[in-house]
Amino acid sequence: MVTPRQTRHALPNARTLTVIAQDPSVRIGGRLLTTELTIPAEELLEGPCGYRVNVIDYDSSTDTLYKPAEYETLADGHIKDPFAISKRMKESGQRPNGYDQRLLDDPKFHAQNVYAIIMRTLAQFEFALGRRVSWGSDGHQIHVAPHAFADANAFYSREDRGIFFGYFTGKSGKPVYTCLSHDVVAHETTHAILDGLRRRYLEPSTPDQAAFHEGFADVVALLSLFSLKDVVEALLDLNVAGDKKLIAARFLTRDALANSILLGLADEMGSEVSGVRGQALRRSVTLPRGKDYMHMPEYQEEHARGELLVAAMMNAFLDIWLQRLAKIGPVSGGKRDRSIVIEEGARVAGHLLTMSIRAIDYCPPTDIWFSDYLSALLTIDREVVPDQGEYNYRKALLESFKGYGIEPSRGTDKDGTWRLFDKELRYGRNHFDSMLREPEEVFRFIWENRTAVNVRDDSYIEVQSVRPSIRIGPDGFVLHETVAEYIQILTLWTSELKSVLKITPPPEIPGNRRIRIFGGGILIFNEYGQLKYHIPDRLEDLERERQSERLKVLAEIGFFEEPAPSRPASDSQSHFAQLHRSRALGSSFALRRR
Amino acid sequence: MAKSPKKVQIRTYNVGFGDCFLLSFDYGTSERHVLIDFGSTGLPDGVPATRMMDIANQIKERTNGKLHAVVATHRHKDHISGFETKKGGKGTGDVIRLLKPNLVVQPWTEDPDLDPKATGPKAKTSKKQITGKLRRMGIDSLKQVSALNYMNGIAQQMLMARNLPMAVKSELSFLGDTNLANRSAVENLMTMAAKNSYVFCGSKSGLESILPGVTVHVLGPPTVDQTDTIKKQRSSDPDQFWQLQAKAIGSDEVVADQKRILFPKRYVEAARGDNFPIRARWLRYHSRAMRGDQLLQIVRMLDQQMNNTSVILVFRVGKTLLLFPGDAQIENWQFALGQKKYQALLRNVNLYKVGHHGSRNATPMDLWKHFDKRSKKKGPARLKSLMSTMAGKHGHEHSKTEVPRTTLVNALESETDFFTTQLLDHRSDHKDFFEDTELTF
Repeated sequence: MVTPRQTRHALPNARTLTVIAQDPSVRIGGRLLTTELTIPAEELLEGPCGYRVNVIDYDSSTDTLYKPAEYETLADGHIKDPFAISKRMKESGQRPNGYDQRLLDDPKFHAQNVYAIIMRTLAQFEFALGRRVSWGSDGHQIHVAPHAFADANAFYSREDRGIFFGYFTGKSGKPVYTCLSHDVVAHETTHAILDGLRRRYLEPSTPDQAAFHEGFADVVALLSLFSLKDVVEALLDLNVAGDKKLIAARFLTRDALANSILLGLADEMGSEVSGVRGQALRRSVTLPRGKDYMHMPEYQEEHARGELLVAAMMNAFLDIWLQRLAKIGPVSGGKRDRSIVIEEGARVAGHLLTMSIRAIDYCPPTDIWFSDYLSALLTIDREVVPDQGEYNYRKALLESFKGYGIEPSRGTDKDGTWRLFDKELRYGRNHFDSMLREPEEVFRFIWENRTAVNVRDDSYIEVQSVRPSIRIGPDGFVLHETVAEYIQILTLWTSELKSVLKITPPPEIPGNRRIRIFGGGILIFNEYGQLKYHIPDRLEDLERERQSERLKVLAEIGFFEEPAPSRPASDSQSHFAQLHRSRALGSSFALRRR
Repeated sequence: MAKSPKKVQIRTYNVGFGDCFLLSFDYGTSERHVLIDFGSTGLPDGVPATRMMDIANQIKERTNGKLHAVVATHRHKDHISGFETKKGGKGTGDVIRLLKPNLVVQPWTEDPDLDPKATGPKAKTSKKQITGKLRRMGIDSLKQVSALNYMNGIAQQMLMARNLPMAVKSELSFLGDTNLANRSAVENLMTMAAKNSYVFCGSKSGLESILPGVTVHVLGPPTVDQTDTIKKQRSSDPDQFWQLQAKAIGSDEVVADQKRILFPKRYVEAARGDNFPIRARWLRYHSRAMRGDQLLQIVRMLDQQMNNTSVILVFRVGKTLLLFPGDAQIENWQFALGQKKYQALLRNVNLYKVGHHGSRNATPMDLWKHFDKRSKKKGPARLKSLMSTMAGKHGHEHSKTEVPRTTLVNALESETDFFTTQLLDHRSDHKDFFEDTELTF
């Protein structure tokens, strides 16, 4: 490969760009907390516009196009970060005059901020999954409008192929830009990526499914924030002033960390953006553990329910961090090395982030339940660390989820992980190499083995994706697995549901109504192309009674009150716009009909 | 005067898109008149612009210059614009005012004592009394009231929104217009009668002494506390709820000061209309359409929220029941529908004023299925229904939001003695502008 200098060295793979670490309201010593994000290197057109993200700073409220950010490419293939603080200044803890104000007032910085956070979030998904990851919207490049409209809202829209960030006037009279909140940007990006990984998660279904998109997006946003050492350091500093090298043990108890790291961040985050982001982080500390939240009526609502997932993950994060801290020896007077404490915190967040993302590959393609997600998390950890290892992540996750009423899925192994597939299968008519990439080949495999994998031959079956999953195994070797996703749809009259699929329809649904039942499954093939896991969401209602439950919920929200639409709706734009708005509103009236 | 009325005449006025019903209870030697709503957001084509005044004068004539009570179900223009006053006493509201109603019934959300910014002539209630009210309504009621006021402001801003696709503009301006603050009508309602009654589900209506022999049940709107008992969950902290509601819906910002450019020195001056850079055109097209949808979404929520403050009344004389639910939608209905005593009441309704001009959410299945007197066969005991509406004003057929909703109209036609003001449009070149329905007790 030829570099701009005509040498044959490789082009740089990564670069750093300056961003605001969380949001402009988080200040240390009165100054904005900034950080440099490491993101994939690429040639950047003005915008910035790269191979996955196209920032166009158009404001539809005023019909104005702001000037794009431009980047100078340096001789070594890197680009010049126009907002970088020089090394000398950084070391001496100084900043150029008016630096903070410049970041707030320059739309080019805002464009850089969203570009860098979106690229980092995408890179985290690609790193965790070991493959390229698509957006939920068509095309490879997603549009991003950092000042899309004057409104306290931000959302991803599948149809408009974009992520849109609003702005509004805060209580102080100054503008508040949602594009400058790290967690909001990472949250919206996660919606776009999760929609690419599991399209059907936007279908109307159980409270868990509705809550999952929100909860998962928050989990990714928060863990990705905590995986930044600058952020962990700044939050620890909120409690501990003075000594920059050592930290006393009393700041490292569970309560102290919950207060400094979780609540501390929740307090610092711009409260004005709370209408956009919700209160999940605060809730992870204030919700006492040990209650059966999942069955409480107030946690059937999607935002509240999503917060349970966040609380479970954030508490697992603290627990594992504490486990690791317990192994660090004291330096003097019971104090610990501060930099190791920070390093360990960011590392645990990074690990959990990777696990959280990988777990999506182990979740059913339709109708996600929190219990499925927990089983997926446990399974992926067992895959990576078969013997519990030094730190027992599985135990921490199980306990933390249990604390919020989330138990592993039914029909899993005793330890809550998915069962290995152990039925007899026919591979004879399939080709190994094609099975790694071709939906037609995987469909043939399913068809040949339809009885063993419990797929109804009278349903519509479609293999939606066949994707490689590559990671480093516990022995340091590259592990190449294949994840295939298939769905099944069966449309029946209400009156047939019981006899055909053992589903009990709720009495509200008229007998002559056509009902679409969704099912499907995930097939995980090992490196030999043998089926290792089958994670099904069956059309039939068996022990889990999931289909009956889904219909019951849909009937409750008034889904069947109107005649069936001639075309099923899949409007993700209004979905997220309304979902986020209803969160801000307390969801009193967006609940019934989405 | 007899102890109870012998019959009631319900006069349905054709106000286009709006409501106006005059209930005249006949006590033999005398009558008692109750006006339920008087407002319009649009008259049918070909109707003279003086029509609202014609109606006001007709009400004056029919009541012989004395109105006993006014019910203003909620604050929307299509229910209260007729109460507007004008300088020199030339407004339709001035005519109604001169009919000297003894009582005005409104939802609890209109109670000036609960409005922190109220400047109404009514003396402020003492702190102790307000605490009592708050205790009854729910601690967040002050916030709800101020949020509703705030929403009027947002509607105003919506009307000024620029740079929108045409398709969105008409619906937006219709809904925005309906939600505008109607100061003179609101003040007129506040002061025209000797007594004002602010009602909520289960409260007294205040009509008891005005209509002897008639029991009036108030089924809605629920108070904040009542709403809490049915709401599955509010994700926000309760004390922030209403504040957020107003804030998130509007944040003053949605359309405020649209000429204000965020970064005045940093925009692309050449980017105007057809000259937009090619790279940005796709996004511009989509963003504008999306923003239109967003504004509509906001204004629809706002509209719905206001509808849900509607007073729902059931008038009962002997075994005959008349149901007037204003524009209440499902969220307002939910509390009453969850209670056995009201379910039993609804079963025997003889006359139903179709909610919200026939929209789909205002006659929820849960309500419709309670009406026992629905029947495919005609007969004296069959449910009567009255609808005041105008097609083409609200919603769209393709999204199944058209008003009146076709499926509902079909059901009303086949299972009730149905009257809609639309029938009047085709009669006598708009000279007839009301229809009478009589029920004998």
